[in-house]
Amino acid sequence: MSRPQYISRKQELPLKGDSTSIFLQVIISISVFIFAITLSGVLSINTMLYNWNQSILGSLTVQIMPINDVNKERATAQTLAHQDKAIELLQTVKGIIKVTPLSNEQLKELIQPWLGDGVNINNLPIPRIIDVKLAADAEIDFADLAQKLAQASPQASLDNHKLWLSKLIDFADGLKLIASTVLILVILITSGAIFYTTQMSLGLHRHIIEILHIMGAKDTYVAQQYGKRMAWLGFCGGLFGMLLAIPTIFFIGSLAVRIEGGIISDATLGLVDWGIIFSLPIFSMLIAMYTAYYTVKRTLQKML
Amino acid sequence: MAENNNIIEMQNVGIRYDQGPEVLSDIKLSLKKGSFHFLTGKSGAGKTSLLSMMYLAQKPSRGSMSVFGKNINFTNRDNLASLRRRIGVVFQDFRLLDHLSAFDNVALPLRVCGMDEREIRKRVTELLNWVELDAHMQDTPDTLSGGEKQRIAIARAVINRPELLLADEPTGNVDNFIATKLMKLFVELNKLGTTVVIATHSEKLINDFSYPCLHLQNRSLHIIRPNGYSMLREQNNV
Ligand SMILES: Nc1ncnc2c1ncn2[C@@H]1O[C@H](COP(=O)(O)OP(=O)(O)O)[C@@H](O)[C@H]1O
Ligand SMILES: [Mg+2]
Repeated sequence: MSRPQYISRKQELPLKGDSTSIFLQVIISISVFIFAITLSGVLSINTMLYNWNQSILGSLTVQIMPINDVNKERATAQTLAHQDKAIELLQTVKGIIKVTPLSNEQLKELIQPWLGDGVNINNLPIPRIIDVKLAADAEIDFADLAQKLAQASPQASLDNHKLWLSKLIDFADGLKLIASTVLILVILITSGAIFYTTQMSLGLHRHIIEILHIMGAKDTYVAQQYGKRMAWLGFCGGLFGMLLAIPTIFFIGSLAVRIEGGIISDATLGLVDWGIIFSLPIFSMLIAMYTAYYTVKRTLQKML
Repeated sequence: MAENNNIIEMQNVGIRYDQGPEVLSDIKLSLKKGSFHFLTGKSGAGKTSLLSMMYLAQKPSRGSMSVFGKNINFTNRDNLASLRRRIGVVFQDFRLLDHLSAFDNVALPLRVCGMDEREIRKRVTELLNWVELDAHMQDTPDTLSGGEKQRIAIARAVINRPELLLADEPTGNVDNFIATKLMKLFVELNKLGTTVVIATHSEKLINDFSYPCLHLQNRSLHIIRPNGYSMLREQNNV
């Protein structure tokens, strides 16, 4: 009566001896590795998109290049005429709520750091600037707007940076879609592998399962033993894959930082993002557990 | 049909394997609660097939069957499992789990229904003492003799105090002395209320214990009482 017997209790189903265990762990490790890297990509694209969207939201500027003419006054008048045409167009665009050309004083202020006080704006060939306020929910097609502006006035042009960013956002959105598809595929492939190895294992241990069945074991009794075992494999495999993925993510990050322009440096992972990546072993554990559990319940109904 | 009268009811039951011919046809049988039967018939007559329908491992391919008053065609998987827990089975080839100790093998039916481990330990130790296998509690079946394995198989069958005990040639591999001892155990259990069916070849056993025989021949069931030379055949009623 020293030690309680149940401490040394052996599992009725010797699942630890299954030769498929190693195979599954490798599959799960690779899956979680790919998943973590792809996910970190999606998450950083998200941060990037958020930053970019913030910077193109709310407002934009339109430049009117000055007309060159020896007669300064005529030149200014022509430039202002082009500005009026641009304003006229901008006011018809849906999503634009306010169009304000910068006044001479405002322009002076802008060039003051370079040219000092006391310059006569009208005698200088400097661009005119129109400040445009956008509605919060405005969905502006920047490329289309740029084209329309050019038609209205050859002197007018849309702020370059925004146009370029908006194209980049479309590209990043596409990347995100592809990456999300990869994420779903990885989950499907992993649960597929778990499904088939579980079925194989059920066949392998059929003689034991039949005895348990005749003794009155319900399907959940067997399913729970498989669920537990697969949860363990899912966790270990997931942990290993995640531990491999973390240095890889840092490495990719360090490559990205070397790209000039600070565009990619917007793509950092936040605390929540890292939290999600660190919880991947739990996630793979749950997927492995539930897949095995439902595979057993389904298969036993056909088998016995 | 009431649960308290008939443990097993079969009506026009037939069984076949895959697309083969029927192994048993038109079986009609009522097993009364507390009864004791031998099940006889040549090798291949279908004794194991009949028993496996009774312990709910095989479904009849036709006919209707009730176990403990429940028509099994209208009983769901979980409730069938509950019915199986009330039945103890000794298999012809024991079917012990080789990687488990004698203790764990006997504990199986109790664990399957989720009994508390302390209670399991108490019951299993007690029973293994009783069948004189306490010294081999932690041994695996492959290190034990045929007779010892058999006692483990029987201990596993009775550990859950079954209402129905089905034994498939349990005395096939042991000498007459042990066979008689085992029979006495079954008789004791029967006196405590367990309904018993024992498949056997042994003429001696049948002659020593004057219980009715269910005899399988030509795919059908005949009920015979071993009253010396008068082999009384009946279709129904025990
Ligand atoms: N699993 C099975 N698959 C196919 N045929 C079987 C199976 N089990 C038994 N049989 C056949 O059914 C008949 C009866 O077998 P069985 O019930 O084992 O008889 P017994 O136990 O009286 O020797 C035999 O002809 C046997 O070949
Ligand atoms: Mg047999």
